[in-house]
Amino acid sequence: MLTSPQVTSSDAARLVASRARRRVAACVVALGALTLVVVASLVLGVREVSPAVVWEALTAPVAGDVDHQVILGQRVPRALVGVCAGLALGVAGAVIQGVTRNPIADPGLLGLNSGASLAIVCAVWLLGLTAPAQFVWFAFLGAAAAAALVFSIGAGQPVKLALVGATVTALITPMITLVLLRDQQAFNLYRFWAVGSLTGRGLETLAVVLPIIAAGAVLAAGLAHRLNMLALGDDVARGLGQRVGMTRALAGLTIVLLAGSATALAGPIALVGLAVPHAARRLVGTDYRWVLALSALLGPVMLLGADVIGRLVLPGSELEAGVVAAAIGAPVLVAVARGRKVAGV
Amino acid sequence: MSSPATVASLRTLRHRRLALVLGSLAALVVVLAALGLTLGAASLTPGRALLAVVGVGDAGDLFVVHRLRLPRVAAALLAGAAFGLAGALFQSTLRNPLASPDILGIASGASLGAVTVLLGLGLTGAAVSAGAFVGAATIAVLIWFFAWRQGLHSIRFVLVGVGFAYLASSLLAWMLASADQRDAATALVWTVGSVADVRGPALTVLGVGLVVLAAAVAALARWQGPLALGDDHARGLGVATDAARVTTLLVAVALVALATATVGPLAFVALVAPAIARRLVDDGGPALSVSVATGATLVLAADIVAQHGLLGVSAPTGIVTGLVGAPYLLWLLATHERRSRA
Repeated sequence: MLTSPQVTSSDAARLVASRARRRVAACVVALGALTLVVVASLVLGVREVSPAVVWEALTAPVAGDVDHQVILGQRVPRALVGVCAGLALGVAGAVIQGVTRNPIADPGLLGLNSGASLAIVCAVWLLGLTAPAQFVWFAFLGAAAAAALVFSIGAGQPVKLALVGATVTALITPMITLVLLRDQQAFNLYRFWAVGSLTGRGLETLAVVLPIIAAGAVLAAGLAHRLNMLALGDDVARGLGQRVGMTRALAGLTIVLLAGSATALAGPIALVGLAVPHAARRLVGTDYRWVLALSALLGPVMLLGADVIGRLVLPGSELEAGVVAAAIGAPVLVAVARGRKVAGV
Repeated sequence: MSSPATVASLRTLRHRRLALVLGSLAALVVVLAALGLTLGAASLTPGRALLAVVGVGDAGDLFVVHRLRLPRVAAALLAGAAFGLAGALFQSTLRNPLASPDILGIASGASLGAVTVLLGLGLTGAAVSAGAFVGAATIAVLIWFFAWRQGLHSIRFVLVGVGFAYLASSLLAWMLASADQRDAATALVWTVGSVADVRGPALTVLGVGLVVLAAAVAALARWQGPLALGDDHARGLGVATDAARVTTLLVAVALVALATATVGPLAFVALVAPAIARRLVDDGGPALSVSVATGATLVLAADIVAQHGLLGVSAPTGIVTGLVGAPYLLWLLATHERRSRA
């Protein structure tokens, strides 16, 4: 930071301190929101269970109690899936926007999530795999293939990249439908793993995917500094001693790991990874160390919040979290597409 | 060089080519329609199918042809024609090969409007088409409003449409879930699009509406040539460009609404059919009449493939049109820059 003669060092220090306070405050508020959403996700639902009973189920479960079974067997796994998938999508979105310097990037919008879905469905159909521990690996394969296709056609232009991603999704979705029509087993499996819903995933999928999400999150945290330099442009980053190709490769790996895991957990969910990093940048500025941290908190807030809203808008029934998340994210997409940053494209 | 004789001979050549293209497409439609009438669980010979069409044959043949196969073929032809014409109007009026109602979210708006009228208000028939029109027009106005920024940048225009398509399909999912329509066929028609279950009254609405709107297009057609030259030239030729453009787009939106209200959003037909038509005619014009024919041919062929060509699975029509259209759109995007630079 340049300090002109008028700005004393104490002024600068105060400025830095106030910004740091603001960032910490944003993270604390996000953490509060996350807690709130998790509690809402445990308490609210088709079956009415009082908060006291929820607490009882968590601390001192009674074996035969139906309410306790609902909480422990359905709502806790659902909340865990929402938190993990939301974190993966939020962080993946931030990394993808950072490495492409593209405000209209999101693992769902760019077709990665549908690629992962297609690979899973095909693995179930052609190889007869049924255990999540087996077919989860195909999610990464599919996400990587979709990413390669989308980036090879759309690289360079933000708006075009997003459009190519949407088209690849439009190409893959009928393929998934076809496989499902052909193969009853895949269909049955998929129904429980319905598009963009957090229900029906057992904890076994989570157990397989959790280490991978953790690895992806660690990778992303390690990339934060590199992404900050990359934001100044390839040449500047190179001048600062960064191997840009290496950054791209690591970012690609991170994105594929996170997007593949999120899809294996929750199905192809779009626009969470778009909206969350934008909200994070609004709150903490452009430093990717903070953007990534806040995205990791806001991603679960958005996805799990969408899940809770989906339970409330339909009395007696539910709307998938992915549908609600897309409805929340769509205005963000429109706003970003209108934005000045892409106006020159 | 361009003496009157040369111009006249060029014009004859163009007319001959147009007649040739339309004739070949008509022949293709006849062959495909015959296929559509003969193939199926109860297989008929082409002769028996044809006799059954004119009312000759045993009760079984008549039932299969009149109740099951003929409505399906007719729905494919009419909806395809409507989508093809609408796409040609959109693309020529906005002078953008990407401007197709399904990419712009207008088809999703039509679906949403139709479902709102059908499930929310409990009405059927022409009211559904009217609802689809209101939904499509609303989305079109919203996109126009949000995409405008010192002019209409074509790809951003499309991306704003993608955003609205997400929004509309979310609302659609909510409508379908809250009405507790667990019937898979209903949901498929509104999300993917299928010509399988179109019955008599809906077919009549589609047919009559298509004729009326096609007449309107014919009345507007004298503006299409000048508009394709650009606003300044068109104005110089005495065309009120804004009025012409808005009227044309309204008719195009109505066509999309009409077809979507009957068969759902058949992905990418409105994108691909005009592109094929322009390539076949190759005179730089909007190729409206040929787009009608390519649209009808495309949907009929797609439906036959969807029914019989996919390894024994009977799929909704929109799946096949999506599988054909999406690669074309990818190719269009991959070469977009090169062409706009050229």
